[in-house]
Amino acid sequence: MIAALCWLASAAVASGVIVTPFPGQWRRGLGLQAVGAAVFIVAGFASLASGHAVGAAFTSQLTPRLGVDRLSGVFLGTLGVVAAPALAYSSRYLDGSRRGRLVGALTGVFVLAMAALLCARDAITFLGCWELMSLLPAVIILVHRDADAESRRSVFVYVAITHLGGVGTWVAVLLLAHAGALGTAGIVGPGSGLQIGIALAALVGMGTKAGLVPLHAWLPRAHPIAPAPVSALMSGVMIKLAVYAMIRVFVDWLGVLPTWFGVLVLAVGAVSSVGGVTYALFQHELKRLLALHSIENIGIIVLGLGACLVLRAHGEDVWAALALAAALLHTVNHAVFKALLFLCAGSIERSVGSLELNRLGGLLRRMPWTGGAFFVGAMAIAGLPPLNGFASEWLTLQALLHVVMSGQVGDGTAGAVALAALGATAALAVFCFVKVVGLVLLGPPRRAHVRDALEVAAPMRGAVAVLASACVMLGLAPGLLVSRLVAIAPWSGDAPVHAGLYVPGTGSLPTVGIAVVLVVVTAVLTLLRGQRTAPAAPTWVCGQSVVPALNWSSAGFTKPLRLVLEVVLRPRREIEVRTHGGVVTEVAYEGEVPNLIDERIYRPVARWSLAGAAYARRLQSGSLGMYVGYLIGLVLVVLIAGRIGWLG
Amino acid sequence: MTASTAASGAVQVIGGLVLSPLLPGLIQHWKARLQGRRGPSPLQPYRELRRLWNKSTVDVAGTTVVYRLAPAVIGGCLVAAVGLVPVNAVGPGLGVGHDVIALVGLLALARFAAAASTWDVANGFSLMGASRDLTISVFVEATLLLALAVAVMLTGTSNLLGMIAGTAGGAVWSSPALPLGALAFGLVVVAETGRQPFDNPDTHLELTMIHEAPLLEYAGRDLAYLQWAEAAWHWVVLVLAAQVFLPHPRDVWVQLAVLPFVLVLMCGALALVETFQAKMRVLLAPRLLGVAALAALLGVVARGVGGS
Repeated sequence: MIAALCWLASAAVASGVIVTPFPGQWRRGLGLQAVGAAVFIVAGFASLASGHAVGAAFTSQLTPRLGVDRLSGVFLGTLGVVAAPALAYSSRYLDGSRRGRLVGALTGVFVLAMAALLCARDAITFLGCWELMSLLPAVIILVHRDADAESRRSVFVYVAITHLGGVGTWVAVLLLAHAGALGTAGIVGPGSGLQIGIALAALVGMGTKAGLVPLHAWLPRAHPIAPAPVSALMSGVMIKLAVYAMIRVFVDWLGVLPTWFGVLVLAVGAVSSVGGVTYALFQHELKRLLALHSIENIGIIVLGLGACLVLRAHGEDVWAALALAAALLHTVNHAVFKALLFLCAGSIERSVGSLELNRLGGLLRRMPWTGGAFFVGAMAIAGLPPLNGFASEWLTLQALLHVVMSGQVGDGTAGAVALAALGATAALAVFCFVKVVGLVLLGPPRRAHVRDALEVAAPMRGAVAVLASACVMLGLAPGLLVSRLVAIAPWSGDAPVHAGLYVPGTGSLPTVGIAVVLVVVTAVLTLLRGQRTAPAAPTWVCGQSVVPALNWSSAGFTKPLRLVLEVVLRPRREIEVRTHGGVVTEVAYEGEVPNLIDERIYRPVARWSLAGAAYARRLQSGSLGMYVGYLIGLVLVVLIAGRIGWLG
Repeated sequence: MTASTAASGAVQVIGGLVLSPLLPGLIQHWKARLQGRRGPSPLQPYRELRRLWNKSTVDVAGTTVVYRLAPAVIGGCLVAAVGLVPVNAVGPGLGVGHDVIALVGLLALARFAAAASTWDVANGFSLMGASRDLTISVFVEATLLLALAVAVMLTGTSNLLGMIAGTAGGAVWSSPALPLGALAFGLVVVAETGRQPFDNPDTHLELTMIHEAPLLEYAGRDLAYLQWAEAAWHWVVLVLAAQVFLPHPRDVWVQLAVLPFVLVLMCGALALVETFQAKMRVLLAPRLLGVAALAALLGVVARGVGGS
């Protein structure tokens, strides 16, 4: 049944892909793709609910195998939840030009590659799909942007970093297959050098693909320049598949990892979450800001995963399973609200033509559907009750509290630091999205053309409305999902089913109760306040007249924090004041918060590599005699080495 | 439901919803006395609320539903928060659970609503206050979680009922963990109630306001909701301080009986702090909170070393 659904979904997406390039049929093709993606939702979550693995099991042999189990099911369902609205959205977002149709078809191929990665049950299919999944977005970006200079540069950085770092994935998977441990826990000995080697290689390789700091530099470059539905798929699903791979390796196949490795994962998660959200806060372009928030949320997911590893090393099986469930719940939640936010950003770009935060404003009145959905998404990503982001952050915080409780001095302190980092992250996310909704949706329009913005077409509105309602539903009943997610940990059994999160050792989170109290009290207070009779008046600013030029900007709102963090962030700013006859006529302000990791790590490494290459170039004289000399020298060295016995 | 549960439920609901304006009233009253003024009566907040309730208001032109709903949403958050924080170890469940992390989320929602409304009215002074409030909140929230982690670690649960029961009596005070957590929480209380040295609740200069500034564009019943919410915010953090981070007896009836005196004493302490402390530069506040966070972290380490 589930296997049949998976094949049906793939067939629908594939036939949609075939139809999409034809000029008269491309909307129908995208519709067919969206239907196929919707079938993935059913197949994925059915597989999670049933708990049975379908198809082949993982094998260390190199013959292609396909299958689905619970863990694949969650991610397959998430893929569908993002892909179905994104593809439906594409049918209006893209245009009927050759380029638009090609992007639409390639988007379907991208979805299929990710689905195949989730169903892969052997090393070769897995790695093949992994590479395909990495390369397709690069192709889509180049097609979409017509390979202009900026896109070529960003795609180069993307491909270079994901492939240099991605070596780790190959090393880890091939070592596992070589040891015969792909799919079988307990073959790699706990604490052995092989286990540590595989774990570190996987952390580097898959961490690069997930966008973990410090291997994240490609993410804020590549995500913003893709078309909005593809950005949604990249941020919502693609980077999550790296989390999928990490869970497979760390939790399923490697057995119990040493505690210090769990602490290392916690540290990476904490740095990614705080770093991602801090740089997002000082970003003034909407899609780039959202891309940086993906780093933050991947960090939160990895914090859950790290808590799971530490707790498992301590033998706290119940809480280890809950920590894993927290990571998976945040994975699903982030996919939903990040896809929502990227699609809304695409609509705003279509309608207004700009995503510069300082040039928008007042869009909630002008685009009520898109604006309302965007507001819901912003509250969800800021981790506010009663929406879904809060539920998963709550569970992650609880898991970290248990790391503090169960640990020795060292890992208990690490857990406490991670807890404080997540608390600061949540507060920074609130700060950041107050700024975003304020600048995009509220207040007066900051440019004339924003005043005339029109709401987008129905499929685009529908896609974001569906995702916004998913945010609300996942916020009201996270327990339905968590009770199944807990069972994914191989050492754990089923958990009782509730709508809210009722977990022993916590005060529990009755999500429905909190939502009801909030809504009812808000409604009663609104009714009690009654209607206004006096006519509305302009804002009172100490008697001055309201001048649009004095509107607050993105940089102004975040200035206090920038000053507080000045020592760490080293912001740059330049102010140029022109005076004419003692009167200020013009003030030019330019400010920037440079990315420290780019400046301190990537740039020196690139410089040293280039310098090293310049040295190496001296060997290349270009004369044939020289090269023959090198060859003879090499042969001599090998012969001598063989004679002495170095070659064994 | 036992008698003690019913009694504590009554204290919680009546105290949190009805009596909470007394707390800022008392602080203002004593502060005036300490400064040698006669000052307003402790009942002044109620008179303010009555005056505002009967006043008509003027909407800000060009605003959206965000501006109109914000005071009601903030009121809703604080009602839920009052329902969530029990006054002793046997408080009744009021449908919102007793989880301390959920409380942090509710307070964050209230802060978000206030800050979002400032963008809607686009008043520069309100925005300045919101921006400062959010900056400080980053450090407050991290410190708050660390302080709570100390208490959770000692009691083994994040359920407030269990936390109140677990920190009762004198035994838990023998290790340095809880005193260090209490020190951190004390600074969080000062910051969350908007008191000096973090904020000056008496200021009428827009440039120096933090908590008051986002309220500038509200009047009438909206402002009444916001002022009540401010008072309820005092109630929530002070009850938490009294029943988790200060020594309290084991018996649930005695816990209830002692609570009013402890609350009054803490108001006195806040009035003292307000009198003897000058407001610090807003950019220096994070350093003070950083010290508090380190103290709480030391509490976590201290428990680990003591092994208790």
